[in-house]
Formats: sequence, C-alpha cells, structure tokens
Amino acid sequence: MEPLTLSTFPRAIVHIDGDAFFASCEQSRRPKLQGRPVVTGKERGIAASMSYEAKARGVVRGMRIAEIRKVCPEAVILPSDYETYSLLSKRFFAIVRRYTPDVEEYSIDECFADLTGLRRPLRMNYFEIAARIKKELDAELGFTFSVGLAPNKVVAKIASKWVKPSGLTAIPGKELHRYLAKLPVEKVWGIGPNTTAFLQKHDIRTALEFARASEDWVKKFLSKPFFHIWQELNGQYVFELAIGEHETYYTIQKVKTFRPASSDRAFVLAQLAKNIENACIKIRKHKLAAQRVVIFLRTQEFRDFGLEVELSGPTQFPNDILHAVTPAFENLFDSSAAYRASGVILLKLTEAYYGQLDLFGEAIRMQRLSNLYESVDTLREKYGKHTVFLGASFLAHKSAQHDGERGHLPERRRELLPGETARKRLGIPMFMGEVQ
Amino acid sequence: MLVYMNLQEHLAKIRAFYRSHKRMPSYSELTAVVGFRSTNAAYKLATRLMDQGWLEKDAAGKLLPGPHFHTVPVLGTVTAGFPSPAEEELADTMSLDEYLITNKEATYILKVNGESMMGAGILPGDMLLVERGAEPRDSDIVIAQVDREWTIKFFRKRGRMVFLEAAHQDFKPIYPTEELKIAAVVRAVIRKYT
Repeated sequence: MEPLTLSTFPRAIVHIDGDAFFASCEQSRRPKLQGRPVVTGKERGIAASMSYEAKARGVVRGMRIAEIRKVCPEAVILPSDYETYSLLSKRFFAIVRRYTPDVEEYSIDECFADLTGLRRPLRMNYFEIAARIKKELDAELGFTFSVGLAPNKVVAKIASKWVKPSGLTAIPGKELHRYLAKLPVEKVWGIGPNTTAFLQKHDIRTALEFARASEDWVKKFLSKPFFHIWQELNGQYVFELAIGEHETYYTIQKVKTFRPASSDRAFVLAQLAKNIENACIKIRKHKLAAQRVVIFLRTQEFRDFGLEVELSGPTQFPNDILHAVTPAFENLFDSSAAYRASGVILLKLTEAYYGQLDLFGEAIRMQRLSNLYESVDTLREKYGKHTVFLGASFLAHKSAQHDGERGHLPERRRELLPGETARKRLGIPMFMGEVQ
Repeated sequence: MLVYMNLQEHLAKIRAFYRSHKRMPSYSELTAVVGFRSTNAAYKLATRLMDQGWLEKDAAGKLLPGPHFHTVPVLGTVTAGFPSPAEEELADTMSLDEYLITNKEATYILKVNGESMMGAGILPGDMLLVERGAEPRDSDIVIAQVDREWTIKFFRKRGRMVFLEAAHQDFKPIYPTEELKIAAVVRAVIRKYT
C-alpha cells in the first residue's frame, strides 16, 4: 500500500483523554469502588459517566437510573461531584503543561498538546515524551488516560481512541494509511451521519478511501471544514490548537434539574431565576455582558420548550435578565405539565462596558447595579455562593435541589473537614472511606 | 509553567548562581535554579531573557551574561529614606501551601479514623496531606490499599521484602501476600483546633 505522506512527525500533536473520567475520579479516591461497575449522575436521574465495568454490562450514557438497575443491579450509582472532577481536571492540564505550554483544554476530560520541538531540550523522542506524560497522569491522578500521538489534531484523536482504556498509540505520517484503512469514515472527528451517508453514495466507506479522494473532488462536493479534515487525514497540519485556559466564551449556559418534578409556577420560576443568577456570576467573572438570552423548561417527559429574548442593551446582572425573560416564561409555562429542569443560555457576549451616556439615566442605573453586584461578588468570595440572592429565586434556595438531598449530595460535601462549611471547602481532592 | 511576572525574580536567582559559581548555568542547572520542572520551560525563560538583553548565548548555544545582566533592577521610585523592603524581602518567603505541598498536582487530603498510628503521633480525626504516585522509601508513612480499604502504616523495606507496620502494639505487621498497593506517601499531618 502506498503511504499518504513520507514524513513522520512534521508536527507532534497529542490528544489525551481521561478514561471514563467522572467514574474514574470516584474509583480512584475510594478503593471499595475499584473493579466494580460505577455510574455517576444520580442527582440527574440519568447516567453521566460509567466505569468500564459498567460499560461492559451494557450501561450507556444517558440511561435512566431505573433501567441501569435492571441491566446492572450491582452498579454503584453516585451523585456527581463536579467540584472534585473540576479540581482533578485542572491537575490533568497542569501536568501536561509541565512539558509544553501549548495545551488546548478541549473539555473537562480531554486536551490537545503540541510537543513539536521538544525532543532536544527534553532529550527524548516524541513517543517517549507522550509515554512520560501518560505515566505521570496515571500515577498522580490514580486512574488511566489514553494518549494518541500524531502529526495533527484529527489523527491524534484517532490515535487516542485506537487503544482504550489506558492506550498509548503513535501514528506517524508514513504509517497513517495503515490505520485509516481499518477505520470507518464516520469514526473520524467532525464527520457526522449526513456526510457519512453522502460519502457512502460515492463508495467511500473507510477513512483511507476518503483521504485518497482527489483534492478537486473534495473541494467541489464538500464544504471547507471537510476539506480541512481531508488535509489532516493526509498528514498535513491545519487545525491550530486553541491555547490557554478556557477564556473565550461564546455562550454561557446554566441548566439545573430538580426533583421531584414540579407544576408550581413560582417554584419553577425560582429555579430559572437561580440559573440566571449563576450564569451572571460566570459572566461577571469573565467581564462579559450578554445581549440575548434563551430560557427553556424541560418537562418530565424530557421535552424541552424554549424562547429567545433580545435585551435592550448588554448586561451582566440577573435583575435585568429576569425582568426581560419573565413574559417569555409566562408564555412557556403550562400549569398542566410537570417540569424537571430549567435552563438559561446567555448569547451575543461582548466585553462589559457601560461608558456610554444616555438621556434616560440608563448609565447611572447601570453604575448603581454595577456597584451593587461588586458587593454581592465580594460577599460571595468571602462567604460562598448565594450568600445574598434575588428574592425571585428564594423558593429554589429554600428547599434542597433534589428531594432527599442528602442521598444526592456528593459524599465530599457531607464529610466536611474541621473549619470547612457547606459553602466552602479546601481545594484539594480527598481520599474517601475509612482510613485505619 | 512559565510565570512571566517573575522574570526579575528568576533573573535574581540566575545572578546568585553566577556569583557563587563564577559561570552561567547550563539548561538543566537553570531548570533547578529557578525551580522549574521541565527543561523546556527553562529554555523558554532563557529565550525570553535573551530577547530582553539580560542573557546571551555563545556559538555553541551555551548561556552567557547579556548586556543588561549586571545592572541593578530599579525597585520603584524612592522619595526619601530607604526603599520599601516589601518586594525584595518577601520574595524569599513562602506560603503555608508551598511549605506543606511539594507536588501540587499529586497532593490529596484525607482524614484518619483508626488508632494504628498513634505511636507516631497521628490521631483519629487528624488530616493528612499525601502525595499520590510517589515512590515510598523505608520508614515513610504511607497510605496503602488493603482489602479494598485505605490503611495508614509505616512502610518497611528489609532487603527485597516489604511490609507495613503500625505504630501501636495491638496491630500486627501486614505482610503482603500478593502485590502491595501503595497509593500515596504521607507528607504532612494537620490537626486543626477550632
């Protein structure tokens, strides 16, 4: 077979993926769970992540708890502890940054890193560097990662999935064709069901067949992103890494499930208000302001109803947003339905700036709100989230987010250390269980 | 990771090395001197310092003092008296976090329940800072995994044999039948009185 390219690693890109990340975070801190089927997401009523033991017994992502208990009665189903998962995620990226500053935090459990040019200063070849990063991740986080090394992002993603869990796969350019020949084209990152169907009509079934298609043909029949994928499958480096800790937010989203489901108008609105407050905390942290808002309600039958609202000007304060979306909420809310979740998405984000003067005292009002929320944020930093909150979200704060909250609260939040409070805990992950 | 704000601080350390060794550090020495973990980071730091004229390199790529190397950094405007000591003096202090934690990414916390380490001054309710994945040495206090539970014991090494030992007469040493799973090495004990 003729290779697609003769070079090996003109660029050296790794993709690193935490194996069953959330479930692994749980297993690694609690020896009782090791070797057992573990599922997280109890508080939402559906599987968010499952350990390999649970996957082997047929538990899939999004499966309802009742069904999990049927297919895998011995499964340990835990509430998500996002605080711990986030702490471990930050450590994951920090360990990779020991080797290179060029890291793209792709999601909570995956990243890309550029190792190009590090062979000489580190006195190792690329495979050895990738192996070393994997070794440190596995040892220091206590669970395994799958690593793929390749000349670009698209192929690095293929490589990290090649052997899983705990794989370490290098695909040099000149070996690329051997891997692509065995890979169905729909497994390539970015190629969806529609494109797959189209390619099949042209007898393209494997990634290699796609890579071997002529440049003219690809340019003629497919859009630009697919041309870039085609280039990367041929060993070229096209997709740049988005480096730095997550900084650019195109949208900010907050969704919260509550249990039991509710038909109480005031309660559901309070839940929505709490989400708006949380979204605004995040938007202020990033010094952004939103111009448009989407709100949505999810019924017990998992049907979503949403509406989009344009704001009169960019804002970062929940008072403004709540005021603007209340009519939309009235429109959406159907008292005969039972709701299980509410959510808000802030869109059209711009840099926060209230310098413009106007006739109606808007600038002064904004300045007042800005002062007010500066104090709110100071209080939050000192005493924890939701020390002060809008009256509108009172009902959502009064009762626990989920019925029987203790059972749905992560263990870490029930087992506080001396001096910790329900609002603030030490930012260090904890080993759980008895220590004799 | 490179912290650009600390350029002057790093430079001060390089100057100290130069004063005591009468030569410039190699890249691997530089890594140790500035406290980085990767040579690559040190390499980037050196590049930055070269760009600003603090350092230079010779034909073989070795570091040399640059044109600004021996100049004294300006500490801020002084109107009268001595300059405020804060900046210079506090550069050599560390936070409690830095004092207790060496490898930040590998450090975990846990709470002790049992009494098996009372002889070593570790009481039920104490909190431990432990380093995951570290290589245990003889007589280190370790967190091991025994029968699907965490246990805290002394790690003992006699030739090729390893075993766990409590600091309490009621507990017998544990000789592993198979592989001994050491999860972490204890680095500090915290007892907080409220």
